[in-house]
Amino acid sequence: MNAIALRPKTVWGEYAVALGVFVGASLLNLWLQKWTGYQAIALVNLLAVVLLALFVGRGAILFGTTLTAFGWDFLFAPPRFSFHVAGFYDKMMLFTYFVVALTVGQLTARLRAQRESEIKSKLLAESERLSRTLLNSVSHELRTPISAITGAASGLRESGGLSVVQQKLVVEIETASGRLNRVVQSLLSAARIQSGQLHPKLDWCDVRDVLRAALRETAELTEGHPLETTIPAGLPLVKMDFVLMEQALANLVANAATHTPPKTPIDVTVRITPAKLVLEVGDRGPGLPPDQLDRIFDLFHRTPRAKPGGTGLGLAIVKGFIEAHGGRVQAANRSGGGALFRIVLPATNPPKLPDESS
Amino acid sequence: MLVIDDEPQILRLLTITLEANGYRVATASGGQEGIASAAQHRHDVIILDLGLPDLNGVSLLKQLREWTQTPVIILTVQDSESDKIEALDSGADDYVTKPFKTGELLARLRATLRRSDKGNTEEPILRFGALTVDLAARRITRNGEPVKLTATEYALLRLFVQHAGKVLTHRHILREVWGPEHEQQTEYLRVYVARLRERLEPDPESPVLLLTEPGVGYRFAET
Repeated sequence: MNAIALRPKTVWGEYAVALGVFVGASLLNLWLQKWTGYQAIALVNLLAVVLLALFVGRGAILFGTTLTAFGWDFLFAPPRFSFHVAGFYDKMMLFTYFVVALTVGQLTARLRAQRESEIKSKLLAESERLSRTLLNSVSHELRTPISAITGAASGLRESGGLSVVQQKLVVEIETASGRLNRVVQSLLSAARIQSGQLHPKLDWCDVRDVLRAALRETAELTEGHPLETTIPAGLPLVKMDFVLMEQALANLVANAATHTPPKTPIDVTVRITPAKLVLEVGDRGPGLPPDQLDRIFDLFHRTPRAKPGGTGLGLAIVKGFIEAHGGRVQAANRSGGGALFRIVLPATNPPKLPDESS
Repeated sequence: MLVIDDEPQILRLLTITLEANGYRVATASGGQEGIASAAQHRHDVIILDLGLPDLNGVSLLKQLREWTQTPVIILTVQDSESDKIEALDSGADDYVTKPFKTGELLARLRATLRRSDKGNTEEPILRFGALTVDLAARRITRNGEPVKLTATEYALLRLFVQHAGKVLTHRHILREVWGPEHEQQTEYLRVYVARLRERLEPDPESPVLLLTEPGVGYRFAET
């Protein structure tokens, strides 16, 4: 732990520390050499390099080793103040010093790096666990009262015997709790994306089925908008997370229905090439301001002329879900007016099924 | 019936609603209490919240299934497909996602009770709208016209109609029709479900018989 806390922040900082250790050791040695002689000085240098290895990376260790080795040769080994190494004994000494210092240094650095990565992954796991716990408890605390409101209001409505006014008021409560539930759902999805806890469960899926589920979910919103879906015949299976893709498509369709005038059409088009699946949701509304096209998928971003209501989460969630699939999503304006959202997912050859005769 | 939920408010609400609809309701606010109540009284159905504090809902379900076949309906939240799958594979009969409308819960409850009443009295001829499945004669007709199916298609349809109204998980269907070694081969299922829809549904583009339960499995419409 300490070694990590003391570790210099930058690479240059590490080299500066190595240089400092060299200067310090050399000064100490200049003082010590009166009593020790020049050979024992090498041991002091070796000690300095080992200590250095506790705090810096491999590059700086190599730098420190080189400095102390040549420093010893230049400052202490006879002939002094020259890089010439006199006898076989000193040459041997210099070579051994270099190898030992470097090996010890590298081993220490490796041990430390291991320990550091262990601590890092422990910290990461801890923070993931914490945010998951927090998400779960927030989700539970918000959803429980919403469940009670929805259950009570629908029970009241179905119990019958309400006056027309009471009936209308109860429907308002139900609509509001439904909306509240969608907001909570969006916030939780966005939080899952942000905290990196989105793990798509990729399975071979029938895209028509996914699209049907998305359209069923948004049926209330798209009421009054003519819906046209274009799906090529014989569409192969594509690997995706059914629930996440359904949610992404539902968000795009809901977005189109909310931001366009009633009775304007919404088209959903599916295309496939050998390498990718393209899903498009187009509308004939006012389109998107050209300067907003890149930012429209940002979290909490809302276009200046967007209607009040809406959280600015829907499209960010679409982007998060699609990117978790290794795909991408783009927004554009259509020729002839309206906005177009395009999802592109990687597709691979679907598996062969065992043959069967009837 | 027995309702097991740790939230007093949900317990109160369910008690009020269910009693108003003519059911007799016992409640338990924790897993241990729930097991004790299930052991002491004969309940026709158990409603179980998966998120209990003292005992994981799925392990409670497994404990119950060691000695009783009383139908269990799971209460769960969105984004918990894996929990739903695990609960269904551990013997739950159906699930309702919170927040739910009272009518939805009551409909599931009635369907579950109906299925458990029928028990194992095996009807050889089953009718679903224009579709008739004669299990004894292995004959299928649609609007009176015979429908030809391959062996696998027939095995899949038979599994569905024998459990009409019940959610079947992908793993369960794959194990039953293709065998345990193909439990993960969702692609088989997707292709065969599309083929069955093509042959049996009035409009294959908007199925009313063979319904998809997103992320979980399939449910065949009730008779």
